[in-house]
Amino acid sequence: MEAIEHPPLFAIPGVPDHLTYTWLVMVILIVVSAAASRRLQLVPRGLQNFMEIVLEQFLSLLDDVVGHDGRRYLPLIATLGLFILTSNLLGLVPGLVAPTSNINTTAACALIVFFTYHWIGIRKQGLGRYLKHLGGPVWWLAPLMLVVEIFSHLARPLSLALRLFGNMTGGHILLAVIVSLTLGLASWAAAGSLPGVLLGLPGSALLVLFTAGFLLPLKILVAFLQAFIFCMLSMLYIAGAIEEAEHP
Amino acid sequence: MRLVFVLTVVAVAAVLAGPSGVWAAEAGASGGWVGPFAVIAAGIGMAIASGLCALGQGRATASAVDAMARQPGAAGRIQTAMIIGLALIESLALYVFVIAAILLFVQPVK
Repeated sequence: MEAIEHPPLFAIPGVPDHLTYTWLVMVILIVVSAAASRRLQLVPRGLQNFMEIVLEQFLSLLDDVVGHDGRRYLPLIATLGLFILTSNLLGLVPGLVAPTSNINTTAACALIVFFTYHWIGIRKQGLGRYLKHLGGPVWWLAPLMLVVEIFSHLARPLSLALRLFGNMTGGHILLAVIVSLTLGLASWAAAGSLPGVLLGLPGSALLVLFTAGFLLPLKILVAFLQAFIFCMLSMLYIAGAIEEAEHP
Repeated sequence: MRLVFVLTVVAVAAVLAGPSGVWAAEAGASGGWVGPFAVIAAGIGMAIASGLCALGQGRATASAVDAMARQPGAAGRIQTAMIIGLALIESLALYVFVIAAILLFVQPVK
């Protein structure tokens, strides 16, 4: 992948790039949160207002999906969402690396969600009832249902991690290929031969237009959408673990 | 149609006569006979996966838009369900993408 990806703008020797940029995302989030909550006012203005709007979106989603008990999980969901959204948007800046385009970051997030929703479910209804629920509604189906349930639970973190990683990495590879194609066409035109100028100039111009007018807006959309979907699925899993307690 | 033709000509010309020697040199340097087949498999697999994924997502979106047109009041919840469904469908294509990326970049079998 290093062959077509642009090397990152700054790198700490001995530290993997995705870790460096995870720290950068953490610094950005901490600075923004600290600046927004430094002087809290009853009538919010500016940055505090913006952050409150963002968090209210998370709150309304939690109310919709998880229900009346959902606001307890705001720290987890909002942290995941803001971290993933910031990481995704960081990858759009040329020369910076999106931490979410490395599978280790996304797998870490997915494993946190995996263990957390099991923990929530076990704490809500006790270990025995939670395990019993894996057996399905009818006792003689339990051996089959147990295997199916275990595999479906194991597939959840896998698909969470791979979805985010695949979307981000796929977008980056697509962008890198298009940019290298544009640079190739431009340098072909710059070489000065007649077919090079005739084909290379309009070709590279078209590719630049395509990138700026379609690919980048699409990638911004995907960045927001993937963060939303990650949060949404985490909330759904938590809601699944909770509402089994209410309808035994 | 003409635009597509021009784009095709440009792409073919870029591949044939353009400065794409870097990639060709890279492909030649790795050696072995599995490498080219891995590239072909990655391309064909990704094409099949994204094509079928597009069919599935098209069906899902079509019925979601249909439902939204019939029940505009429930548009928000239908849209949320549609996005979750699209994400779950898309993850199947992304599995193939991960396998294609492994074939192309990691190359477990030389």
